[in-house]
Amino acid sequence: MAIPISQVFTVATYVWKQKLKGNKRYPLVLMLEPLFRCNLACAGCGKVQYPPHILKKQLSPEECFAAVEESGVPMVSIPGGEPLLHPQIVEIVNGLIARKKYIYLCTNALELKRRLPEFTPSKYLTFSVHLDGQREHHDFSVCREGGWDIAVEGIKEAVKRGFRVTPNSTFFDGVDPNSVRAYFDEVMAMGVEGIVLSPGYSYDKAPDQSHFMGRAKVRRLFRAILSNRKKSWKFNMSPLFLEFLMGDRQYECTPWGSPSYSIFGWQKPCYLLQDGYTETYKELIETTKWEEYGVASGNPKCANCMVSCGYEPTAVIDGFLSWRGFWGMVKGNFSSYKDAHAQKVLNDFRPEGHVPLVQIKSGDRVMEETNA
Amino acid sequence: MSAEVLKYTREEVEAFEVVPGFKHEQLEGSIPELASDDEIRAALESAFDYRGDVTITTKSGEVIEAYIFNRSTGATLTESWVQYFTPKATDKRKLSYAEVARLEFTGKDRAAGKHWEDWVKAYNERKAAGEKGIALVPDKLD
Repeated sequence: MAIPISQVFTVATYVWKQKLKGNKRYPLVLMLEPLFRCNLACAGCGKVQYPPHILKKQLSPEECFAAVEESGVPMVSIPGGEPLLHPQIVEIVNGLIARKKYIYLCTNALELKRRLPEFTPSKYLTFSVHLDGQREHHDFSVCREGGWDIAVEGIKEAVKRGFRVTPNSTFFDGVDPNSVRAYFDEVMAMGVEGIVLSPGYSYDKAPDQSHFMGRAKVRRLFRAILSNRKKSWKFNMSPLFLEFLMGDRQYECTPWGSPSYSIFGWQKPCYLLQDGYTETYKELIETTKWEEYGVASGNPKCANCMVSCGYEPTAVIDGFLSWRGFWGMVKGNFSSYKDAHAQKVLNDFRPEGHVPLVQIKSGDRVMEETNA
Repeated sequence: MSAEVLKYTREEVEAFEVVPGFKHEQLEGSIPELASDDEIRAALESAFDYRGDVTITTKSGEVIEAYIFNRSTGATLTESWVQYFTPKATDKRKLSYAEVARLEFTGKDRAAGKHWEDWVKAYNERKAAGEKGIALVPDKLD
């Protein structure tokens, strides 16, 4: 298992405390967005398309700490925007470490190598580096040739300095599963702690609206990618969530599991949908019409979502609060998920043409769903 | 949001190969009619979805340039409000729907022209022209 025991213990204890308190809705990870400014301009990005005066705004360290304390989370993910562009990011990170929060600082790593000397390695701090596959796939995905090389340089330097590092990948329609598996080999060889991955999601505010996989396609893709695992691969994720992506488990979304806080306030209902904001976490929990979200609601905005921020909390809670889930989690950490059909899918898969793209849809590529 | 709930069955959702996505209106430069309560509600909902600044003229004649990031709809216009940032002030502000006399989508739509196809087309053209180090760069902030 890639996740350190101390972190697993902290989260397990937290989940049990919530159960004993009778809390039905509680957060596991705060998605803290201290700014929306970014030094990449990824086509289709739904997170950074704002007027300049909004992009110049940022949360103060005090606002960040207040949000963390108000929500009471054991883990904080710091996405954005590019958090390393925040002039007080070191102060924010150090303040969260002092509060014993497990932090995933999400970065495209363009500035990582230069900024590393300002940070101190800690079991509480992980650099979660955006890396969408192998070199040409990543560069095309983030719309910057040479981006992969810079990010990898940052990863290697961070690993060398003793930091926890997890490459964080989002996969969209048309991805080549063999390339993804080769990418796993490459990043594990860099000495990272474990891989984080998720299927793409069609933000309703994103400019790009046509390259997002539906759930059937997601399950086929991730079954091909995640079956027949190599021993060298480690995942910094719940094994149950990965089984959910492969179609082995049915889960409902836990949108309050990863609440999002930014300059706008607490985002309703989740990190991905922007259906309004509240001033306090309490107000978010009490006033959001949760029954209107998630696949079970039929809400079209939730139709293709199998994203970790909604479903990994469900998997984590299942893993710690049910014997079946706990046993599945233990088994998942040692299984290679042998699947002859998934292997055949990999063997038969032929990338199309010469276009070196990951995200482009390709209707002719057919993978048969085997276990959904 | 409520109107969209229960649009898909569970079976439909689970069987999706590619999701339909959501179409964005071309709003930049437009001035919606605000003659009725329904028109005011629809226009301010569009303004909430818009990825650019709008200009609001209030019934008292004040002109506000704003990025609307939040809204709450109540039974009446007076009970409904938008929340916004202005380019010059640092604090969040609120305005009742009932105070809105005119709305114009004056700011640049920051999502326009940033589709995946736009990038693929630009990339292929620049590559064919022999360019190296091809990249999209973020918009300037000043």
